[in-house]
Amino acid sequence: MPGILVYASIVCDAVSMPTREILGAARGVAAKTGEPVSAALLGSGISSLTQDLIEAGADSVHVCDNEKLWEFHANAYLKVLADIAASVNPRMIIFPGEAAAIELAPRLAHRLKGGLITDCIGFEVREDAVIFTKPVYGSKALARMRVDGPTALVTVRPRTQEPFGPDQNRKGDVVTVETALGDIAPETRTVERVEEEVFECILEEANVVVSGGRGMKDPESFQQLRELATLLNGAMGATRVAVDQGMVPPSCQIGLTGKIVAPEVYFAVGISGASQHIAGMSGSKYIVAINSDPDAPIFSISNVGVVEDYRNVMPTLIDELRKALA
Amino acid sequence: MHIVVCTKQIVDPEIPSGEFKVDFEAKRAVPDQGEPVLNPYDENAIEVALQLKDRDKDIKVTVLTMGGESSQKVLRRALAMGCDEAIWLKDPSFEALDSAGTAAVIAKAIRQAGNVDIVLCGRQAGDWDMGQVGALLAEELQTACIPMAYNIEKKENALFVKRETENGMAVLEAGLPLVANITNSSTNQPRYPSVKGVLMAGRKKIPTFSAGDLSIDAEIPKRVVVEELTLPSYDRQVLFIDGEDGPEKAVNLAAHLIKMNLIK
Repeated sequence: MPGILVYASIVCDAVSMPTREILGAARGVAAKTGEPVSAALLGSGISSLTQDLIEAGADSVHVCDNEKLWEFHANAYLKVLADIAASVNPRMIIFPGEAAAIELAPRLAHRLKGGLITDCIGFEVREDAVIFTKPVYGSKALARMRVDGPTALVTVRPRTQEPFGPDQNRKGDVVTVETALGDIAPETRTVERVEEEVFECILEEANVVVSGGRGMKDPESFQQLRELATLLNGAMGATRVAVDQGMVPPSCQIGLTGKIVAPEVYFAVGISGASQHIAGMSGSKYIVAINSDPDAPIFSISNVGVVEDYRNVMPTLIDELRKALA
Repeated sequence: MHIVVCTKQIVDPEIPSGEFKVDFEAKRAVPDQGEPVLNPYDENAIEVALQLKDRDKDIKVTVLTMGGESSQKVLRRALAMGCDEAIWLKDPSFEALDSAGTAAVIAKAIRQAGNVDIVLCGRQAGDWDMGQVGALLAEELQTACIPMAYNIEKKENALFVKRETENGMAVLEAGLPLVANITNSSTNQPRYPSVKGVLMAGRKKIPTFSAGDLSIDAEIPKRVVVEELTLPSYDRQVLFIDGEDGPEKAVNLAAHLIKMNLIK
């Protein structure tokens, strides 16, 4: 029986949301094919998370709990993953679209001589293969792709799949992986780490996101966006252009190569709507666009639009909403 | 020290969705829409290499690309920006390779060039957005790989690489050789070619390498197959908010959002 292997990522000592999402996608495929879903859990002091993974959809968890895996080092992680893949022999390996996984997936594909498709948003089960949907050309087109050969590897765009459960009645096997890591040395050494101050809630988890783009004049104009975001208990975002111009830090970047968000309400202020940005926010439930150019592409994906220079709109908008919330 | 920057020519990513054309038969974008451009992340990678060269004149920067006749343009642009040499991988069998095939061919060219210390790639190309070639090159060349890098400094024999992390940045110390995938940052915005640079680049001879030149005699396997390419449809209908001026529109927008129960 072929199987599906899911790479579990850990964020803040818990199974990450994108991992829950890919377990949901794996269960969706397994519902049609009947094949087992295994999870690979790597790290140090993480054995307590195995039951979480089973409740989130894994039939078995292959866990390697080793202090050498405390910090992420690609070589050590790859060695363990290759061992797990050799014992599970999956026909499909699914990675969450997160930083470490994005580095691991191509390198594991190379070691397994498998084919990798990155940034998938959809799975379609056919008799002979699974067809993956992937946005291409900056999300201006959609490709449907498959992998030729015994092992298909995919990374999945966060916030595109429904998580499974959790179902507390689920039972599963826990397999301890004993990969020898004695001779594996880190390839690089971290000499400094700077965490940016998070002003509001975490961008990816915010119910309201207020973003600015090329239309914003200077870092100060982002203060208005931050004010609106704070008022609505939301977070502030930006386009790549705003980041490149140094108006906001890179952690604010939303888009194909930034963060993927899907809030209840998304305010696009002074954003023309380049497809690369739309790729990061088109899953938003309700989109509000404010732009002085009536032909800006952002309006074609928005629910409500205001054709006006944002500077003439923002102060009154903030006042009105503050009154309503008072 | 020798740095090779891997680049790709792509269909201009700034073409708006409404005007973007797909060749459904060939399952790719229509190639001759707009002027093809150097992949923007590759321009950031060239800039990172040139900043290293600015500080140490002994560093040689070679730009590499794989592609047909038109891709000579990206090499000329990179030379005009200040790269020293160019390598052009040009062979009908290199067309429509997948990421694994592309990395295998580039790795052969890099090994053949010899004594390459740093390989830089843009984090992903703005056409197929696969983002794999850098990591695959690290596997092919058996080196470390640093993703999301945006600045590199050399101090004696060590490299200090700044990379983005999920919520900030980190500085990594790495030895040579090294592969790094470069992301955009306010510190690596690509420089414009100078007039002198453009003139020099125009005169430079660009060596081409065919499959035969790289001793590739077997067919390059293809593991990823495109079944179909389609255009997505967005089905939102936008409601424009009326008003005499900005403040009135703002009042009406606020009222609409409150009515829709979106403000909590």
